[in-house]
Amino acid sequence: MRILIVEDDELVADALKRGLAEAGFAVDRVGSAEQAEAALATEEFDLALVDIGLPKADGLALLRKLRRAGRDLPVLILTARDGLADRVDALDLGADDYLTKPFELPEVAARCRALIRRTRSATSARLTIGTLTLDLKSRTAELNAQPLDVTRREWSILECLALDAGKVVRKEKLLRAIAAWDEELTPNAVEVYVSRLRAKLGEAVAIRTVRGLGYRLDDSAA
Amino acid sequence: MTQRPDAGRPPSVARRLLTLLLVPLGGLLLIALLFDYLVVVGPMRLAFDRSLADAAMVIAAYVHEGPGGRVTAELPRTVATQLALAQGSRPRYALYAADGQFVTGDPAVPGPPETGGAGFSFAMLDLGAAGRARVAWYRFQAESRSFGLAVAEPLDDREAATRPLVTATLTLDVLQMLAVIAFVLIGVRQGLRPLLAFRDELAGRSARELEPLDASRVPVEIEPLVTSLNALLTRARTSAEAQRKFVADAAHQLRTPLAGMQAQLELLERDAAALPVRARVSAVREGLKRLAHTAHQLLTLARAEGSATLERDFVPVDLPRLIEQTVTLHLDRALGKGIDLGAETAAVNVRGVEWLLRELVNNLVDNALNYTPAGGAVTLRCGPLGAGAFLEVEDDGPGIAPEERPRVLERFHRASGAPGTGSGLGLAIVSDIVTLHGAQFELRSGHGGRGTRARVEFRTPPPRGRP
Repeated sequence: MRILIVEDDELVADALKRGLAEAGFAVDRVGSAEQAEAALATEEFDLALVDIGLPKADGLALLRKLRRAGRDLPVLILTARDGLADRVDALDLGADDYLTKPFELPEVAARCRALIRRTRSATSARLTIGTLTLDLKSRTAELNAQPLDVTRREWSILECLALDAGKVVRKEKLLRAIAAWDEELTPNAVEVYVSRLRAKLGEAVAIRTVRGLGYRLDDSAA
Repeated sequence: MTQRPDAGRPPSVARRLLTLLLVPLGGLLLIALLFDYLVVVGPMRLAFDRSLADAAMVIAAYVHEGPGGRVTAELPRTVATQLALAQGSRPRYALYAADGQFVTGDPAVPGPPETGGAGFSFAMLDLGAAGRARVAWYRFQAESRSFGLAVAEPLDDREAATRPLVTATLTLDVLQMLAVIAFVLIGVRQGLRPLLAFRDELAGRSARELEPLDASRVPVEIEPLVTSLNALLTRARTSAEAQRKFVADAAHQLRTPLAGMQAQLELLERDAAALPVRARVSAVREGLKRLAHTAHQLLTLARAEGSATLERDFVPVDLPRLIEQTVTLHLDRALGKGIDLGAETAAVNVRGVEWLLRELVNNLVDNALNYTPAGGAVTLRCGPLGAGAFLEVEDDGPGIAPEERPRVLERFHRASGAPGTGSGLGLAIVSDIVTLHGAQFELRSGHGGRGTRARVEFRTPPPRGRP
């Protein structure tokens, strides 16, 4: 997975480059929006990590230009500002996520992984979280390269959680995902299916309960 | 604008206008009433007296000296009837001799005074049982003798005839004046309306609405005032924008090197094979993390100042969504510490600055996670409260002693036995954000008297003006 870092600050850029390389990404780095455009025009990247505070044309201008040109690669915005307006601007312009400075390297890597996974699931039919692989087209799952036997409702819940892996998925959303087969389901049904899934998934991936909100699927290894 | 005028303060323009107009108008009414009364009553009295004099002359024509010197003044029936018709009642009269001796007629009607020559004289007299009357005296010669004839007309009759006209005239005067007063009241109110509208517009603004006022929509008299106000507003707006820009620039200049150093140290820590070096790098990184946190808190504090926020920053904020995002943000840390982090939310919106409310919840959750031991629980709640909303973060940690609660809101105050990397600014930030939103903040004990419950109540609808 290849990432382009657009950051002018040497200290930050160098740390990001090394940190992400250690997390298993192929990383290139440029220091300005102009260089970023040139790099994106000639090379393929899976994700761009863009700082808002660039010299001359800023990160938001770069993002706007990319989206106008029809480029849909995922963009993770780095910002030192925390005002709402900046974030709204970034998301309105088509940023996929944002991170506020200072950040922790593992979190940056996790966000990059999640964004790339989400984009890929939209284009390819396969979704991988740790040792769990979902084939969205055939609606089958594999765990440790072995077929995983799940019912249709269990599949729906797993798919829902996997598409937003690392994020809290509301219980209501899971209920809606399985309600199509049976109108008389109660929220308790979700709990039943989640506990069955947990038993089947074992240690490889974890479905965590977030009290009062829902569930979160985590790659236990990450 | 609603307070009572102070003692030394000039009266309101409306009151001044009304005093200046209504007092002279009231005087004018009194003069008009007097004048109209005299104009109506004078000529009428003259007319009545003339007709009374006519009656006296008619009666005098029937004074006869009969045989034996007996003087009579008997009116034939037809004449008496005619007079009664003309006067409204049968006239009462008495004939007196020149020396004032009663001759004939109604003795209750007094004779003419001693003085006075021939002809008519009039007087108002009280006739006792017959009531007040107008009396006409007529001195005349009949058959070579002088007589004085007194004819009385009860005032009741006169008044009955005069009253409708007087009443109508004076009523008309009063009605006219009431209409004038009504026009004055309406006119003053309407005339002051642009001034009041301007006042309401100013009063309705919050301290964050610094847009200039529209000078073309105010009367020309107060235009200079509006121009001066606009100059002031522009200055305030410029300084607010400058502060916003300064804080944003400071944020960037502080955070970027901090982020770089922190990430570099993180890598260095991983690379450092030798344990003593690793421990030192670890310590430096911990210190840097604390510095970064404090810088962030200080910047938040600077931006939570009322003057750094503008009216357009206030938007409807979905509290359950905010809580969900905050829980997601802190979930890993909570799981790492073995704390059960959860939420109990009911749909509710408040008007506020979204990122500041996010900082508020972040700080409360951060505190709760800091002070709650492993195995504990932290719960975020929100829901409607009357017309407003509440938001609370409850933990089952050691809690804060009641006597210490007011002090924990002070800047840089660290609770006794506070663990970790706190800047001592968290609750000060919470307090500032709460104030900016016109909300109330309270620290209580949690359920069953254990732990801490930090509760924010948004009682009033959105804040207008600086709290």
